Amino acid sequence: MSVWNYVVTAQKPTNVTHSCVGNFTSPQELNLIIAKCTRIEIHLLTPHGLQPMLDVPIYGRIATLELFRPHGEPQDFLFIATERYKFCVLQWDAETSELITRAMGDVSDRIGRPTDNGQIGLIDPDCRLIGLHLYDGLFKVIPFDNKGQLKEAFNIRLEELQVLDIKFLYGCLKPTIVVLYQDNKDARHAKTYEIALKDKDFVEGPLSHTNLDNGAGILIPVPMPLGGVIIIGEETIVYCSVSAFKAIPIRPSITRAYGRVDADGSRYLLGDNAGLLHLLVITHERERVTGLKIEHLGETSVASTISYLDNAVVYIGSSYGDSQLIKLNLQPDAKGSYIEVLEKYVNLGPIVDFCVVDLERQGQGQVVTCSGAYKDGSLRIVRNGIGINEQASVELQGIKGLWSLRSSTNDPYDTFLVVSFINETRVLAMNMDDELEESEIEGFCAEAQTLFCQNAIHDQLVQVTANSVRLVSSTTRELLHEWNAPSGYSVNVATANVSQVLLATGGGHLVYLEIGNGKLAEVKHVQLDYEISCLDINPSGENPNYSTLAAVGMWTDISVRIFSLPSLELLAKENLGGEIIPRSVLLCTFEGVSYLLCTLGDGHLLNFLLNLSTGELSNRKKVSLGTQPIMLRTFSSKDTTHVFAASDRPTVIYSSNKKLLYSNVNLKEVSHMCPFNSAAFPDSLAIAKEGELSIGTIDDIQKLHIRTIPLGEHARRICHQEQSRTFAICSLKNCQTSNEETEMHFVRLLDDQTFEFISTYPLDTYEYGCSIISCSFSDDNNAYYCVGTAYVLPEENEPSKGRILVFVVEDGKLQLIAEKETKGAVYSLNAFNGKLLAAINQKIQLYKWMLREDGSRELQAECGHHGHILALYVQTRGDFIVVGDLMKSISLLLYKHEEGAIEELARDYNANWMSAVEILDDDVFLGAENNYNLFTVRKNSDAATDEERGRLEVVGEYHLGEFVNRFRHGSLVMRLPDSEAGHIPTVIFGTINGVIGVVASLPHDQYVFLEKLQANLVKVIKGVGGLSHEQWRSFNNEKKTVDARNFLDGDLIESFLDLSRSRMDEIASSMAVPLEELCKRVEELTRLH
Amino acid sequence: MGSLLDDWPSYDPHNFSQLRPADSSAQSSKLTPVTYRPTHNKTLPPPDQVISTEARNILLRHFYQKSEEKFRPKRAASDHLTPEHSCKQPRYAYADEADVF
Repeated sequence: MSVWNYVVTAQKPTNVTHSCVGNFTSPQELNLIIAKCTRIEIHLLTPHGLQPMLDVPIYGRIATLELFRPHGEPQDFLFIATERYKFCVLQWDAETSELITRAMGDVSDRIGRPTDNGQIGLIDPDCRLIGLHLYDGLFKVIPFDNKGQLKEAFNIRLEELQVLDIKFLYGCLKPTIVVLYQDNKDARHAKTYEIALKDKDFVEGPLSHTNLDNGAGILIPVPMPLGGVIIIGEETIVYCSVSAFKAIPIRPSITRAYGRVDADGSRYLLGDNAGLLHLLVITHERERVTGLKIEHLGETSVASTISYLDNAVVYIGSSYGDSQLIKLNLQPDAKGSYIEVLEKYVNLGPIVDFCVVDLERQGQGQVVTCSGAYKDGSLRIVRNGIGINEQASVELQGIKGLWSLRSSTNDPYDTFLVVSFINETRVLAMNMDDELEESEIEGFCAEAQTLFCQNAIHDQLVQVTANSVRLVSSTTRELLHEWNAPSGYSVNVATANVSQVLLATGGGHLVYLEIGNGKLAEVKHVQLDYEISCLDINPSGENPNYSTLAAVGMWTDISVRIFSLPSLELLAKENLGGEIIPRSVLLCTFEGVSYLLCTLGDGHLLNFLLNLSTGELSNRKKVSLGTQPIMLRTFSSKDTTHVFAASDRPTVIYSSNKKLLYSNVNLKEVSHMCPFNSAAFPDSLAIAKEGELSIGTIDDIQKLHIRTIPLGEHARRICHQEQSRTFAICSLKNCQTSNEETEMHFVRLLDDQTFEFISTYPLDTYEYGCSIISCSFSDDNNAYYCVGTAYVLPEENEPSKGRILVFVVEDGKLQLIAEKETKGAVYSLNAFNGKLLAAINQKIQLYKWMLREDGSRELQAECGHHGHILALYVQTRGDFIVVGDLMKSISLLLYKHEEGAIEELARDYNANWMSAVEILDDDVFLGAENNYNLFTVRKNSDAATDEERGRLEVVGEYHLGEFVNRFRHGSLVMRLPDSEAGHIPTVIFGTINGVIGVVASLPHDQYVFLEKLQANLVKVIKGVGGLSHEQWRSFNNEKKTVDARNFLDGDLIESFLDLSRSRMDEIASSMAVPLEELCKRVEELTRLH
Repeated sequence: MGSLLDDWPSYDPHNFSQLRPADSSAQSSKLTPVTYRPTHNKTLPPPDQVISTEARNILLRHFYQKSEEKFRPKRAASDHLTPEHSCKQPRYAYADEADVF
C-alpha cells in the first residue's frame, strides 16, 4: 500500500441520532427528518408509509437537529449545529426541490472548555432566539430580530458547570430556560433563568428545584396551557410549574429518549435503555395538573430518538439496534404489548469489531460485524454484489447459447430450455415431476447451432440457425414455415422479438423479417459496408411487441448504428473508437429512460441515452466490467427489468434514481444467461458457466446485502477459524435479577454456515473478553483460538489481572488447552513468528508455546517491551510490531530473534488517543483516533540521524468524521488479477455509526489525477448549509487543525457520477480530460466497494 | 388504560392508512433516497446572515456594563456636582503607604 490514500464509504451511517417531525417540504406535507451523524434523511408521510425523499450529506457531525417555524412563515425551517461549532438554517424550496441556506455561522469561542455531556442546542418556542450550550459555564444566544433574521451571537455566563440538560419553557413573557445540573457534591438540581436580551444576561427565573433524583437526566418542557417542566429521573418523574408540583415513583430505569404525542403536551412516549417503551400521561382538569401516570406499552429497539408521526404511528430511531416504525394499538397482543412493528431500518452500528472472511470460497470477502449493543446485539454479514442461490445444476460442456421458451403465449411459466452447442441444439423441458429432462421440439433443427430463438405471436416459436429461420407452432411443435438464407450465405448473427426477426449474413447483408400467423415475411434487405457483429431489436418503445428501432454493431469501422424498422433506414451512427469490435448490443428502458448498451470484446461496456423517435445517441459513457467479451440479456426480478452482463466478471446493470448502477454477481465466470421461470424454479435464471448449466434464484438487486443474526447479547470481538469452519466471539449478556443488574461474559463458538451457538465457555465473574484470535504455533499444526481477558473490578482504575485462554475446537466444542494468568488486561493478541504476542496494559509481551514433559502445552513468557500508557491495538508484519497506544499515538517495535528481545525503533510523538491501527506496507502505518481523524505515519529508516530515525513522520492527515473501531486488510469485492482495480490494495474499516468504509492505496499518478478532480468538484458541488468541505476534512483535535493531506474524499469524488451532463462537461474541460475517460476512471473507483 | 391509549393525534387521516406490517424477516423498505448534491448558489446565505459571536470578551462586556450602570445613576442623582468631587482623597493613603516602604 502507499501514503496516497483514497477513503470511501461502502455502507453509509445507519445509526439514528436525532429525529424531528414538521412541515418542511410544504405547508401541507408532514415530514420526518432524521439525522444519521453526518447525514440527514428527509422522509414524507404518506398513506403507504414513510417515503424517503432525500439523503443529504452534511459536512459535519450533527450535534443538534431542530425544526422551527419563524413568524409569518408557512412552513418549518431546519436548524442544524455540528460538533465542530458550525450551524446553518435550511429552508426547502419546493419549486426547485433544493435546500436553501437562510443563515449560517460559526459559534466557536477561542477559549472555553467543551462540555462533557455533549452539546445542547435549542430554539425558543416563540422564536425569539436560538440557545446553545457548547462550553462549560457559557450559554450562547443567537437572537432573532422581529423579521425573523438572525443577529450577532453573544455569550452569557452560566454559573452551573455540570449541565445535564437545558430546555426553553413554554408561555413565558421573556425567553426562559430551565437548566438541569449537578453540583460538586453530585446532587442534581433544576433552576430557571430568564434571558434579558438587552442586557445580555440572565435573570433568576420563576422555578427552582433542588435535590432531585440522583439519576435525573432529561427535561421535558410542557406546552401551554399547562406549562411547566417534567424532570425524568431513574426512580421518579417530577412535574413542576409555578403552581403545581407532582411526583411519581417509577421502576428503576434509565430513560434515553422521549417523544411528545399530543400538541397540548398531555402525553409523552419514554424509551429506556432496555428498549422498554412507556407512556407518560399528565392528568389535568381545567388547565390544572392533577397528577402523572405511567403505562408500560411494550418493547422496541433501544431508542435514541422517538418521534410521534401520525395516526398512532411512531418512529423509533436507534443507535444500538435497528430503527423501527411502530404502531400503537388500542388492545394488547398475546404478550401484553401494545406495540406492533410495521417496519425495520437496518442499523449496523456500533460496529465494535469485524472480520473479513470468504465463506462461500468465491474469492470475495464478506464482512461479519459485531453490531448493536445490549439486547439488540447481533452479527451482520455484509456482502457486496448479487448472489445466485443455485437450485440445480448439470454438467454440460461447450454451451454456445441459452434461451427459455413457453409452450404457449399465455403460459405464465417457461417449459423449455434451449441449449445450443457448436453443432447441435438440445431442448430440455420440465416434466410432470418438475424435473428437467431432455425433450424435443420437432419443428426445430437439432443438428445445427441455434443462433437465436424466441416465443412469437400466435403461439409460435422462432429458431434461427446458420441456414434458416424456422417458424414452429408451439402447440403442435411442427414446422409452419421456413425462411432460407440465400445460397452461398450463412446467417452469422440474429435477433428477434415476438413479431420481428433481424439477421445478418456474411457480406454485410442485413435482413428484416416479420412474423405472421404461420408465415415469415421478408420485409427488407440492405447491404452494409462491413460485416455485422451483433444486433438487437428489443422493443423499448410503447409497443411491447414491436420495435421501431434496430441496433447493429459493425466490424471494421467499429461502430454501432441505429436503423429504423421496417424501412432499415440509417438513423444514427456512433463510432466506438479503438480496435475492439462490439460483441453485444441491447436496447432497453430503465425507469422510463431509454438506453443503448453496447459491449466490446475486451470487457468494456458503453452506454448511450437513446432518443426513441429519432434514434439519436447521446451521453456516451464507458465502464470496464471485465476482460472478456460480454453478452447482454434482460431479465426481470420483482417486476423490474434489469440487464445481466455475462462475462468473466458477471454484472447486473440496473437503475436507481435514474442512474445506471453496476453490481457484481457473485459467480466467477458466466458465458450465457437466460431467465427461466418455471413452476419448480420460479423467478430463476439459467446460467451457463465453466462446463456447467445451473438454475438459481437471484438476490434482491442492490449493491450491499446485509444479513442479520440476532444474538440477544452484545458481541464485542469476533474471529474466524478456517480449519474448524467456525467463528468465535467474546460477548456479554446483561441479566436482570430481582433487584440488581449483572453482566455475564462468554466465549462462544458459532458454526460458520448456520451461525448457531455450538459451544460456550463462560468467563469468570468480572472477567471480560478483550481480544480473540485464531492461530497456530511453531511445531504444532493445530489451530487454536486464543482469548485475552481482563478482570474488571469495580474498585480498580485499571485491571491488574487477566488471562490468556487457549482453546482447541474438538467435536464442535471449545476445549480449554492452556491458560496463563497476566498482570493486566490482554487488550490485543497476535500470532507472531509461531508465538503469541499479547498487549497487556502498558506492556507488549511475547509468549512461546512450550511442550511440557507430560506432553501438555503451556504459554511461557519470552520477552517483552514496556513503555506504553496502555497498549490497546497491535498489528504485526514480519518481525515488526506496530502499537496503537491509549494516548501516545503509534510506535514501532522490532523483535530481535537472536537476542530474544523487543526494542522500540521509532514512535510518533504526537499525543493521539488511538482507536485503531493497521500496517499499510513495510514503512507506512494507518491510525484512527478519538477525534474522528485518520492519519498515516512513515518510518524514516534512511534518515541521517538517530533522532530522525526514531521518529515516525506524519505523512497523511484527514478528518473522517467517524469513530473507527477496527481496520482489517481485505476487499468487499472480488478481485480480478488483470483488472486495474485488482492492483489497488485496500483496508476495510468499521465505525460506531455503522459505517463500513474502504481505504485504498493509489499509485501516485492516479492520486494526483483524483486530487485535481476533487479540487474541481469542490467548486461545483457545494456544501449543504454553506459548510465548507475543506474545513470538514481538515484534521482536527484539541491541539491543532490542519488541512487534509495525502487522503482523498472518495465520497465526493464518486458523486461526480451524480452530476448533470453539463456540470460533468464543465469539470472535464477544466481538467482537460475527455469526459468519457473521466467517467470511466471514476466508475472504476466505485467498483472498489 | 383504554382512555390513555385512545384518541391518538391525527393530522391527516390518510397517513399510514395503507401501510401493512412487513413480515418480521423483511428487513427494510428497499427504497433508497436520492443523495443530494447541491450545485446552486443558494447554499450560501445572504451576507448579513453569516453569524458570528460578538468579539468583545464576556468579562470585559460585564465590566463595561457594570461601569455604565454605576455611571448612569451618578449622573441622574447629582446633576450639578463639581468635577473635584470625583477626585477624593485616597492619594494620601497611597502616599502614606509609600512612605512606609
